Amino acid sequence: MYPSGPDTDRNCGTRLGTHTLDVHPQFKCHLPSRIAEYDFFMTSPSDYPQSQTIQDELDILEKHLQDAKARLKEGAPPRAPRLLVANEGPFSTSSQHFLLLLSDSALPLGSFAFSSGLESYLAHTRPKSSFPAFLDFSLGSYASTTLPFVLAAYRNPINLVELDDTLDAAIMCTVGRRASVAQGRALLSIWDRSFASALPDGGSKEAVAVLKEFAILLRATSPVATNDLPTASAHLGPLFGAIACILGMSLRQTAYVFMLSHVKALLSAAVRASIFGPYHAQKILASVEVQEGIGGVIERVWDTSIEDAGQSVPIMDLWVGRHEMLYSRIFNS
Amino acid sequence: MASPFPTSSSAPGEGNLVVDVMPQKISGLSAMTFQYPLKLISPSSTSYQKSVLVFLLTYGGGLVGGDQVNLKIIVKKTSKLSIVTQGHTKIFKSLSPDIVTRQKLQVMIESGAALCLLPDPVQPFQFSAYEQSQIFEVADTGSLCLLDWVSAGRTARGEDWDFWKWSGRNEVWAASEAGRKRRLLLRDNVFLNAQELNDEDRDHSVRRKMQGLGIFGTLVLRGPLMEKLALFFLEEFAALPRIGSRDFRSQDMKDKDSSLVLSPQEAWRKQRLRQEALDGVLWSAAKVRGCTVIKFGTCTVEGGRVWIGGMIKQEGSISDKFGEDSIMCIR
Repeated sequence: MYPSGPDTDRNCGTRLGTHTLDVHPQFKCHLPSRIAEYDFFMTSPSDYPQSQTIQDELDILEKHLQDAKARLKEGAPPRAPRLLVANEGPFSTSSQHFLLLLSDSALPLGSFAFSSGLESYLAHTRPKSSFPAFLDFSLGSYASTTLPFVLAAYRNPINLVELDDTLDAAIMCTVGRRASVAQGRALLSIWDRSFASALPDGGSKEAVAVLKEFAILLRATSPVATNDLPTASAHLGPLFGAIACILGMSLRQTAYVFMLSHVKALLSAAVRASIFGPYHAQKILASVEVQEGIGGVIERVWDTSIEDAGQSVPIMDLWVGRHEMLYSRIFNS
Repeated sequence: MASPFPTSSSAPGEGNLVVDVMPQKISGLSAMTFQYPLKLISPSSTSYQKSVLVFLLTYGGGLVGGDQVNLKIIVKKTSKLSIVTQGHTKIFKSLSPDIVTRQKLQVMIESGAALCLLPDPVQPFQFSAYEQSQIFEVADTGSLCLLDWVSAGRTARGEDWDFWKWSGRNEVWAASEAGRKRRLLLRDNVFLNAQELNDEDRDHSVRRKMQGLGIFGTLVLRGPLMEKLALFFLEEFAALPRIGSRDFRSQDMKDKDSSLVLSPQEAWRKQRLRQEALDGVLWSAAKVRGCTVIKFGTCTVEGGRVWIGGMIKQEGSISDKFGEDSIMCIR
């Protein structure tokens, strides 16, 4: 409950007529007031030698202050927001280029075909549906189920096959699995046909080899659903993490772009489902709530292992799973 | 003086259960140990029983904050086990969110063996913190029926998802075979944490997420003995009326259709759909890597019991294969 700075403190002191100098710890070490104190008491001629030593001391202190300020200037971190534009990746220019490509809504993943349960939510909760509420649920649920796999694949692209298999076991509904696999396969094709030839220098050769093997494994898997376990499914999350790692994006950028793409897909679906228009959609996208929401969920699952990934909004599985039951549908999920 | 008795192999809250086929060809218990707060009871076996029945009990009908229960079960080749409870497993409040009440279940189902676990729902009280982990390793021809459901708490006292924390983990692994590692078939994790959403209304964040549901459950089916039941759920799910559809029939057609005599199956379905609408049942069924997962939520606990019990009874194969007693908690 302390006032925020010396100014408010002083005002408060004057108004109440008390000696804030003695009371407030912040004030006791406040340098200018100390100097004023010395000046006031020690300017008589007889004290001259003493005031000279104090003057020397002051000079030294001032020099220290200037040095410290200069040092602060040199080592100051850039003031740009940490998440997006900062040169964080190991090979910055091309990584920024790929950051923009992966966050582009024209990236041909086919995300526009999926509403991640929004369409079903609207059908189940009409007329009490609320888009902000759904966005909050969807962000939390997607982050807790899928983001740990993105992070894990970025941290260890070598484990891609295993991560893909584990995520496949953790998706509890057909509709959600279909959406994740369709986009993952599309991303793998983009990698294969478009990105791989423009690979930035310094990219991990091992990780590239893993992706190549994964693509071969996927081709060997029969596309027809059988009772046998698939050897590879190509879910979006782990592939996104592995590819972002190879392209030199930072881990935080990867997580942010992944979650932001999800929000963008939801908003685009909402516009096409006629919940609101494109300007309102941009307004939500630009809002502090969305920025903080994405930052918040990333913070929350940053250290979550894939074993502890799981559903935080159970009813989401019902909405997504029951999408197939809708009489008319404009989306695939 | 040294105790003349052998040292106890069980620790507080620990239990062990081994089911095997007895010489007279019925399933029987070959080992059962347990220690407070866990209690296991099994009625003496009879020659006509279809599976071994075990009651999974806790003293006082629930777990006090900080209790740890750790049960290991082995269902040996071709034997059958059903586990039931004596009522809702109550999770009493913890002194702080860090004191977590835990229940761990580790089950090994050998080839040809089967486990049917149809308990009453878990009922977490206000200010409780609970973690549950149920891990099943199932051999190629082993079968599993698992119901895991959690209620909103003591609704009569006004509780509505007011616990601090509830987390449930269900894992099904394909047992390791010669030269192969065991492989994860299904991992169904649900984490409900009161301190999670990024909004100001944190106290009711779980309640907000549950959207008026009074109970939420998951049924996992796997293996040859469950094939019929799984198919039944998938077919009933596919036969659900479409959401948002309209009746375009003329009045004449409607009159004509309503005079038709329905088959018993259709009549039952019609009645069930009416009840589903009444109780606000939401459910979905899906195949997940050789398992079938049914998720459901209803407004009231009773509605949930009526629904899941109705489905399982109508299909009938559980009581055929495990005996009537195996479904006593959902009747």
